[in-house]
Amino acid sequence: MSETQIQVKDVSMVYTNNAGEKINALDSVSLDIKEGEFISLLGPSGCGKTTLLRIIADLLQPTDGEIIIDGQSPRDIRIKQEYGIVFQQPVLYDWRTVRRNICLPMEIMGVPKKERTSRIDEKLDLVGLKDFGKKYPFELSGGMQQRVGIARALALNPKYLLMDEPFSALDEFTREKLNEDLLEIWGKTKSTVIFVTHNIPESVFLSDRVIVLTPHPGKLAAVVDIDLPRPRRNELRDSPEFFEYVAKIRKCFQEVKM
Amino acid sequence: MTISKHERRLVTAVWLVGILAFWEIMAFILKYVVKSEMASVKLPFLHTIFITMFQNAGMLLEASAVTFSRALLGFAIGAVIGVVLAILMSLSKTLERIAFPYLIISQMIPVLGLAPIIFNIVRDMNLSRIIIAAYITFFPVSVNMLSGLKSVDQEKKELLYAIAASKFNVYRKLMLPYAMPYLFTGLKIAAPMAVTASILVDMLGSKSGIGVKMLYSLYSSSMDIFWASVITSAILGIVSYYLVINAEHFFLPWQSGKEGETA
Ligand SMILES: Nc1ncnc2c1ncn2[C@@H]1O[C@H](COP(=O)(O)OP(=O)(O)O)[C@@H](O)[C@H]1O
Ligand SMILES: [Mg+2]
Repeated sequence: MSETQIQVKDVSMVYTNNAGEKINALDSVSLDIKEGEFISLLGPSGCGKTTLLRIIADLLQPTDGEIIIDGQSPRDIRIKQEYGIVFQQPVLYDWRTVRRNICLPMEIMGVPKKERTSRIDEKLDLVGLKDFGKKYPFELSGGMQQRVGIARALALNPKYLLMDEPFSALDEFTREKLNEDLLEIWGKTKSTVIFVTHNIPESVFLSDRVIVLTPHPGKLAAVVDIDLPRPRRNELRDSPEFFEYVAKIRKCFQEVKM
Repeated sequence: MTISKHERRLVTAVWLVGILAFWEIMAFILKYVVKSEMASVKLPFLHTIFITMFQNAGMLLEASAVTFSRALLGFAIGAVIGVVLAILMSLSKTLERIAFPYLIISQMIPVLGLAPIIFNIVRDMNLSRIIIAAYITFFPVSVNMLSGLKSVDQEKKELLYAIAASKFNVYRKLMLPYAMPYLFTGLKIAAPMAVTASILVDMLGSKSGIGVKMLYSLYSSSMDIFWASVITSAILGIVSYYLVINAEHFFLPWQSGKEGETA
């Protein structure tokens, strides 16, 4: 963890909706992200988190500003297949078994057949779904489906893991378990993670830094370093330090009067 | 509401027995209560029809085979054309706008009128059967397939876009498999229609086929053969439908699994 890897420079996004109105979704957001860092984009819904993530992923072009990643554009990174993306919904392909869902990116990239099998095994193991490879998505719970989504995102050993509220559709217990597991997985993969959430404790638990965004227009309100020791287990959530961070971030939102 | 496989079979069985019983009772009433002179023509007993079918099994099977095989070939060709059209229309909005009205108009020409026209052009009974079956098939296949291709959710596409998948791979890995259940909906609609159309073409002066048997027996007042061919035709339609259902279960196992869970 050292040098700046992703530079977000004065990025703005103005949408025009069907009625022709302009919506200022992001207003001149600047941000530096370091290699191997786990950062969260935190804010209420509508503050432009998804917009920023999609701009970084080259799924959307900003109306102003630019993103530089290791001296390249998001497009270069996308073409080099260095992104892994996890959406709020698992977005699995219903007609593929768990194994073949994880295999999908490797098929696109042209990973040799022999290597695929061992890599699928490795990823299944990583997300704790060893015995579920032959199942179809509809046979799995929401939490397990999201684990498959993560395994698939990791299939190409991405340098950048982008996650858009991946656990927000899950219940509290499953979410906390997956938070813990995600940290363990991240510890092994060393990817740079950009994690979108609207849940303050979740962002504190996971991140090295929390980027606080406020809406109308989407603005960067604060950056909070989380100096909690790693590896982090769920017991950490009961510690006074943890509460302090949660309270501190909550105050950020109160200050801008939302 | 959940209906188990077992229950579903029961429902089918009750329906079948109900229809058979209803038929027999109506035939009985017609003959012995109303004492209609033409009872055996208007509505003969079902069991006598079955006996006739059994006695003429060879002839009926042969005629069915002629009609059915042409219908099947036409169905296959029509399905391929329908799929290709749907893919092309999904690739190009312009093409869709140009082609779609023609598709709709094509379906406004009644088969009864079209069949003689086709026959006059190609001058071949077999070819006419195949063309008409294909003509009937391509429309529901194309329309359903296209609606499948157009309803793929954005995020499923973005997933591939984010790892720079080629257009070819997007179709191969996502669009086509996604549209398969829609395709089968189209095939299920088209299959019995293709059979019916093929039978209709028989009647336009063919020398063989189940439609010919129906027509000739009607002219020669051999009503038992007539009824036997009507029932045989109906069975052909049902068989074609179930062939498609079975193919769907075979090719789309995840689909039947899902249905089993929610149906
Ligand atoms: N395609 C779009 N067209 C118009 N407005 C949009 C579009 N996408 C998002 N927005 C608007 O931009 C703002 C930010 O959206 P989004 O980035 O999805 O926020 P978040 O992910 O934080 O909930 C919202 O007000 C939303 O309504
Ligand atoms: Mg969002």
